[in-house]
Amino acid sequence: MCVMVCRPSVPVHTTTDRSVATLFAYVTRRVLISVPLLVIAMYLVHVGVSATVDPRSDFYLCLPRCQEGFDSITETYALDTNIFLRPFTYFADLFSGDGLGFSSSVGEPVGEVMRTRGWNTAMVAIPAFLLGAVLSLLLSVYSARRQYSVGDYFFTGLSFIGFAMPSFVLALIIQVIFGVKLEEWFGIKPFNTGRKTGENFWELLRDITLPAVSLAILGIAADSRFGRSSMLETLNQDYIRTARAKGLTERTVVWKHALRNGLIPLVTLWALGFSALLSGSVVTESIFSWPGIGQTFLRALGDSDLDLLMAIVMFTGVLTVIFNLIADVLYGVLDPRIRLG
Amino acid sequence: MASSTLVSGSAEIAMATEFEIDSQTDEMLETSMELRVADVEGLSEKPKTFGQLARERFFGHKLAIVGVIGLILLVALFWLGPMLSEWEFDERNVADRLLGPSSEHWFGTDEIGRDLFVRTARGGLYSMRIGLIAAVVATVTGTAFGAFAGFFGGVWDGIVSNLVNLVLTVPAIIVLSVFANKFGASAVGLALVLAGLLWTRIARVVRGVVLSIKEQEYIMAARAAGASNSRIMFRHLLPNIVGAIAVEVTLLLGTVIVLESTLSFLGLGVKPPNASLGTLVADAKGDIDSDPIRVLTPGIFIILIVLCVNFLGDGLRDALDPRAKGSDSSEAKNAKKAAKKARKQSGKQGPGYIAEARTDRTSIGKI
Repeated sequence: MCVMVCRPSVPVHTTTDRSVATLFAYVTRRVLISVPLLVIAMYLVHVGVSATVDPRSDFYLCLPRCQEGFDSITETYALDTNIFLRPFTYFADLFSGDGLGFSSSVGEPVGEVMRTRGWNTAMVAIPAFLLGAVLSLLLSVYSARRQYSVGDYFFTGLSFIGFAMPSFVLALIIQVIFGVKLEEWFGIKPFNTGRKTGENFWELLRDITLPAVSLAILGIAADSRFGRSSMLETLNQDYIRTARAKGLTERTVVWKHALRNGLIPLVTLWALGFSALLSGSVVTESIFSWPGIGQTFLRALGDSDLDLLMAIVMFTGVLTVIFNLIADVLYGVLDPRIRLG
Repeated sequence: MASSTLVSGSAEIAMATEFEIDSQTDEMLETSMELRVADVEGLSEKPKTFGQLARERFFGHKLAIVGVIGLILLVALFWLGPMLSEWEFDERNVADRLLGPSSEHWFGTDEIGRDLFVRTARGGLYSMRIGLIAAVVATVTGTAFGAFAGFFGGVWDGIVSNLVNLVLTVPAIIVLSVFANKFGASAVGLALVLAGLLWTRIARVVRGVVLSIKEQEYIMAARAAGASNSRIMFRHLLPNIVGAIAVEVTLLLGTVIVLESTLSFLGLGVKPPNASLGTLVADAKGDIDSDPIRVLTPGIFIILIVLCVNFLGDGLRDALDPRAKGSDSSEAKNAKKAAKKARKQSGKQGPGYIAEARTDRTSIGKI
């Protein structure tokens, strides 16, 4: 009878309290779902990678003489155990003193490699992201305001081409034009770690520009299209008409009223795009000789550097999960109509 | 709709319902059934079937026509070109190495004197073939998983959804590189690796469509009439998701070709003696300072192929837009209105698919 009435009284929350609590619960739940998924994915990737990559491949030819090296590699990667059990050895090592292991291709501990290369990647990824975000925002507002104008058609055409363009073709074209033909403007020089310090900021900027720009362009092609349709939809809403009817200036209407709603889907895309950029771009980095995660990955793959490969897989996997979560949370925060479920 | 044509009498109701449902799907299957309801609603003109509308929209879509013609021309060039040329695909002639384009060697020669036109044509066909196999395999797998999850729901839905999430958690390009490096030697192997990571998007799309369709009255009616699960699936669900699948498969084709060429460019995909457009770019990369044209020709062909495929997909999307179908095809008026709206949008709204394909692009394409 009194089931409904006699429940312990629920503490009264303010709205913000409750939404913060909901958000927290949502994030916790998502993380709890993601962790086992990530572990299973890591397990499968480890099995797959160790089935296809053989760290001992260089040793087979000289076998009787180099038995010692052969054995030590076998021991390091636990190659004599069953392939389905090897991931457990790897996970056990992760939590013991060994950490991420030792990279045979670079010759440094994997943790150290990931730190320096990750920082290099970030140096290109952050400017690329900022440039891409600003340009795609401006382009989508422009195309939405001037729908069917010559400029709109021009950018639509460009984005079609950009969308069909593989990243290596774009990077090579940029390299041909700006690296070769205009060498006096942008010399393409191999990355020099000594040059990263603040005293040579301009040289660093010169190294970063081309890879960052080519990464930014790839994102802009798709983002600006998406932003355009989102802005168009927003600009056709009733509340925009109301704002205009109130006599607000066009600038206020577009940049204050419309942008706030039109931007929401773009923000999600930006979050996802940023995570892709941070995980390192294999093609762009290797074309511009930039020693980031992507280039290191290619090297690790070529040299069968199992520990480094696994660390990169884990790094990108964690990044993807985190930024997907950020994207979803941002969507919910920016658009209160969307309930985080 | 049903009430106007139903025969009274309890025994016949079930049959009549079933008949109605079938006719409904048939319209969507482009058979020329007419919407008889039109008369009921007092429309004097003959309403068009969904198939007719779709065809009209597709052929009215300029970009789609450009895409189709472009693809036909490209295939013809790649297929017939080498037959007209006197050179073989792997015929070396070191004396003629690194020649520029001429009437003899249309695209010039590479560093061991092989004719680049023949190699480009052969590589283009190889890329297209891998793309086609991968797209078809991914589509079939994705459709099967998606339809299964959407239709049976519950535990099955949970399993498939988590499987999709699992594949999405894995950093695609990294895994792709590892496996492509191993299996890239054969076209089918590479295609299967690509398909293994690309089926998820189609599975999600199909699952969503099936989830929304299966709650509709005509499915319920079919169930009430005693139709089996497989009959409902193949007779009533599948025809309704064919449009969505057709669009997905074309858009996927573009993604796959870009991915394959990228992997091959990195030396992880197609292996010699085979050549794809990606390996041709990689071969010429070293001489980019002195001979940029040799690098850019295969690159431009990749762009052209993907561009045409995307135009085609864009046209298909507008033609088969589910919004134009209307949730209930008895609403001939509404369907026409929606079709008109869709046609308007197809002309004006531009490439909407870009936004939707974007998620894949961020996780896979931008490497």
